[in-house]
Amino acid sequence: MSATSSSSFDLLASGGRGKSSRTLLRVVILLFIAGAAIASRLFSVIRFESIIHEFDPWFNFRATKYLVSHGFYNFWDWFDDRTWHPLGRVTGGTLYPGLMVTSGVIYHALRALTIPVDIRNICVLLAPACSGLTAFATYLLTNEMTTNASAGLLAAAFMGIAPGYISRSVAGSYDNEAISIFLLVLTFYLWIKALKLGSMLWGALCALSYGYMVASWGGYAFITCLLPLHAFVLVCMGRYSTRLYVSYTSWYVLGTLASMQIPFVGFLPVKTSEHMPALGIFGFLQLLAFLDYVRSALPSGRQFQIFLWSIAGSVFLIGLLGLVVITSAGIIAPWGGRFYSLWDTAYAKIHIPIIASVSEHQPTAWPAFFFDLNMLIWLFPAGVYLCFQELADEHVFIVVYAVLGTYFAGVMVRLMLTLTPIVCVAAAMAVSQMLNNYLSLKSPKPEDHAVVEGADVTATKKKGGLKSTNKPVVGIYSLLSKGVVVTSMTIYLLLFVLHCTWVTSNAYSSPSVVLASRMPDGSQHIIDDYREAYQWLRQNTKDDAKIMSWWDYGYQIGGMADRPTLVDNNTWNNTHIATVGKAMSSREEVSYPIMRQHEVDYVLIVFGGLLGYSGDDINKFLWMVRIAEGIWPDEIRERDYFTPRGEYRVDAEASQTMKDSLMYKMSYYNYNALFPPGQAQDRVRGAKLPEVGPTLNTLEEAFTSENWIIRIYKVKDLDNFDRDHASAAAFDRGHKKKRGGKKRGPRVLRVE
Amino acid sequence: MKTLAVFSAVLSLLATASASSESKTNLPSTFKPPQVFKNANLVHVVSVEKNFVKENINVLIENIDKEAQNEYYLPFTGDLMSRVGGFEVKDRKDAALGPFTVEAAEFDPESANSSSQNSDIQYFRIRLPTPLKPGAQQTLGITYYVLKAYSPLPVSIAQDEQQYLTYSFSAYVPSVYTTSKQKTEVKFPSSVIPDYTKLPGSGDVKEFPQKQGSKLTYGPFDEKPAGAAEPVEVRFEFTKPINHVSELERDIEVSHWGGNVAFEERYTLYHRGANLSNLFNRVKWAQQQYYNPVSYALKELKFPLRVGSADAYFTDVIGNVSTSKFRSNKREALLEIKPRYPLFGGWKYPFTIGWNSDAKNFLRKVSGSSYVLNVPFLEGPKQAEGFEYENVVLRVVLPEGAENVKYLTTIPTSSITEAKVEIHKTFLDTIGRTTLVIKARNLVDDFRDRELIVSYDYSLMASLRKPVIIFTSVLAVFAAAWVIGGVEMKFSKN
Repeated sequence: MSATSSSSFDLLASGGRGKSSRTLLRVVILLFIAGAAIASRLFSVIRFESIIHEFDPWFNFRATKYLVSHGFYNFWDWFDDRTWHPLGRVTGGTLYPGLMVTSGVIYHALRALTIPVDIRNICVLLAPACSGLTAFATYLLTNEMTTNASAGLLAAAFMGIAPGYISRSVAGSYDNEAISIFLLVLTFYLWIKALKLGSMLWGALCALSYGYMVASWGGYAFITCLLPLHAFVLVCMGRYSTRLYVSYTSWYVLGTLASMQIPFVGFLPVKTSEHMPALGIFGFLQLLAFLDYVRSALPSGRQFQIFLWSIAGSVFLIGLLGLVVITSAGIIAPWGGRFYSLWDTAYAKIHIPIIASVSEHQPTAWPAFFFDLNMLIWLFPAGVYLCFQELADEHVFIVVYAVLGTYFAGVMVRLMLTLTPIVCVAAAMAVSQMLNNYLSLKSPKPEDHAVVEGADVTATKKKGGLKSTNKPVVGIYSLLSKGVVVTSMTIYLLLFVLHCTWVTSNAYSSPSVVLASRMPDGSQHIIDDYREAYQWLRQNTKDDAKIMSWWDYGYQIGGMADRPTLVDNNTWNNTHIATVGKAMSSREEVSYPIMRQHEVDYVLIVFGGLLGYSGDDINKFLWMVRIAEGIWPDEIRERDYFTPRGEYRVDAEASQTMKDSLMYKMSYYNYNALFPPGQAQDRVRGAKLPEVGPTLNTLEEAFTSENWIIRIYKVKDLDNFDRDHASAAAFDRGHKKKRGGKKRGPRVLRVE
Repeated sequence: MKTLAVFSAVLSLLATASASSESKTNLPSTFKPPQVFKNANLVHVVSVEKNFVKENINVLIENIDKEAQNEYYLPFTGDLMSRVGGFEVKDRKDAALGPFTVEAAEFDPESANSSSQNSDIQYFRIRLPTPLKPGAQQTLGITYYVLKAYSPLPVSIAQDEQQYLTYSFSAYVPSVYTTSKQKTEVKFPSSVIPDYTKLPGSGDVKEFPQKQGSKLTYGPFDEKPAGAAEPVEVRFEFTKPINHVSELERDIEVSHWGGNVAFEERYTLYHRGANLSNLFNRVKWAQQQYYNPVSYALKELKFPLRVGSADAYFTDVIGNVSTSKFRSNKREALLEIKPRYPLFGGWKYPFTIGWNSDAKNFLRKVSGSSYVLNVPFLEGPKQAEGFEYENVVLRVVLPEGAENVKYLTTIPTSSITEAKVEIHKTFLDTIGRTTLVIKARNLVDDFRDRELIVSYDYSLMASLRKPVIIFTSVLAVFAAAWVIGGVEMKFSKN
């Protein structure tokens, strides 16, 4: 709705003559946009409840609670012994504290105002609240690009409801991105402002905002690379100026100092390759400033030429040599794995399976662009083209950002997020340009051309205008063409709103902790297995019971079940994850010692076979195998888990290694008993399971949730009679059989 | 509906909350109850039908002293004393006398240690409203409840097995007086009573107890001296869960501006029954639900709330629990909740429920600026197997500025351990809200209908405090913004 209200802004604005009435109108429109941005993110709160979503936000939420209850300094020094058992994690030094500190400040500020809002609600609603601010920052940024006020409002509206951004900022999605996108846009705005004015104050503000951004999200590297690139392109275009020098230098120095205050970043800005471009451009600018000074000081052009070449050559050589030496000496870290995967999308799959196993690190499929940005994606090039027409310093920024952002968004699904702001800005410029031309009621008449031209000159002065409007006006004469264009544009905008609402409601508003399904009568039925099992763990196991699960669930177990875990979504220790992978994918006899060594009390797995829930552990199982294979290539081989014909199966045809693996056994243990004999079926993989289910000797079933999504097993203690578990279990089964228990198939003597 | 007259009559009875209402006195270590009474006839009814024990002692007492007496003592062991609650005494013949004053009379912990003999015996002191003349008789109906009374045997059972509980008590009522004639009846939930202590009979009965369906009768016994005891133990089938709430926090928040009374209750619920011998098996549970739904696991709780309750919610520490149903209409308001998982013996499930109600259902203006609030003291679930509460903290949050708080409750006073008025600061409060905190212990769901009446004064000025403060602070913000906006920040005008 806000998109259309702002598109008709010019009409209204021309009605409001005075400056203050325009300002009022602008404020009101921006408030409406912020309202729309917040409201469209509340689907999940209204449909489900005020709950933290997915995986990472659970950690952020837990950290925030820790911050609020223990104070800032304890948070800073937080060593968490309830994750990564038995290693622990130096949490305070390995996180981006911006998000938690922001919520903590809001929490305490509201307390001071005697509004004691629950910390959970602050965390849930932080992302929507920030989206309102993002819309405002986008408005400011766009206003720097064009003097056309409607473009800014349109960009704000686009930014407010673009699904590409909503995907990471719905209520409950309490992740670093929630505040970082606002900071990203704000930093860019401040940078443009500093560059335009050549102002140290704005440069310092930019550095401040950059420092906040560094404290909030690892994606700050995008700014660290984009600003130097922008500066470099400007220099290459021969646009070096003192404005550039002042703004870049003040941003770089203050920003780098600010970023080094974060323990997790520390000395990275001077030690890693990702940060080197910024440092290089900083040096380069110093050199240019020096040369600029020398040129003004030296009397003749020829002397300067010689000076220039000798200096430039030697500096370049020394710099290159220095970089090579330092890198090979190991002082500067080489590029990280995630960085390589930005250039070669197949890199991660081969070398670092743990990065490739995350769905959001996959390359983007092309429909995703249309899905996330809808019509903005075809307006985007038009907007960039308009920037080429004028090409002031700030327009170069748009062009550079557009090229870089598009590339990254194409490589990684997740980076669609960084592309969205620039798409909104560029598209808004295109739309407002079009509407400006077609919405003016007056048709120019050839006979009073001079009058029109005179009027137009004042108009351009007032609006600043693009080049095309400076030329002798060739207006739109026909009312029909105006009508058609304006109407179709309005329809597009309306469709865009419709699409955004639909995408937000259907694709991005599921908490994923709670699943919704429909009963036969159409009423909503909530499948709450995750929380059922986590609550059971929390209440009915001892406080320090160690839970082994695949790393995806580590944060949720920490947040909801409040129990120590072996691995979690932080994935800082690949070997530890591989150990869990090995325990899951090996035979019981191999897994049991691993679990004993890690003091595992319970094993938690996700099984979707009964419900048809496809995101379960059997479907993730190959990644566990691959990651374990990376460390123990002799013991785990991915090939063994496939049938001889190369199929990944779970039914009777499955390979023996597959059937013997702990994961397979845990998933299907006792599952047969739910069905008539021989009818057991896995609804995710559409497979009929073998008539005889797997047996477990070293684990016992401790809890299974209502729809079987979560299964928890207890690791048995050592046998009282010092037998191995297999024979002890066989003995027990034998007893049961004599008393006429269930048939378990022929007994097999195990030979160790 | 009660009229104003009744209320003003009730008001005069209200105890000021600030006054110490501890129903406990300390006895000197040398204390021995005077032998001034005789139990002429006594019938002891032990009811183990629910997951707490209800004991009923109907006793005909006779004053054998030369002077009129009004203090009757009932002894308990120290362990039992901490688990006994809801102690009430009435005259069986004359109900109009109302509940008698009862107080726990305990030995000083320190002095009790020094004196070896009486160290583990504590007393309840019953004050008769009128002293009993020498030789006169009076029939007392003494009722009390014992919590955490049972221990399961076997201690752990399989998921689909039956649960058996044991309870030990004395076949002779512990008394500090001579008892001429007595009889103990034990009522069970079913007739399945596999084990019980057998005693040699007397008179024409060969052996005690006599079993009639789901009832065991020990006695009648002939004269027993003071302090006589005959421990017996019964073991019986109990197919229902043993619900035990270790802590119930009940908040009642009164809002005059909103015209609303908000209730919130936080339960720490345990199942004290037999533990699982094998761990939980979902397949078996699903099948059992289908074929034989009787189980000792707790599946569901039903809260019949007052008519007119609305907006009920059911959450636990990790958020909303979707398995609840709330039906509210003109005739009833029933909240049915299912814990996230079935609760077996030894398992725990803390949860929170809450609801709103229109203030006019509970709140009444008496005169000028004084109000009376009449709410149920306890509104827990109504379960066939009963529900016991070890500690109850009731918090009545009155509006900011309410004063002169008095309360009256029909809960046995011996159960109330503490009552005080506090300040609770919450949304937009400047001085904080007056809060009446009442702590009680060892209550059971039989006390669901007992009332709590709170009277307080709340002036018009106090009610206007909040809007005035909000208005002035917003005004101050605007003024500050206007002043700051006018400050010239730049060094020079370009």
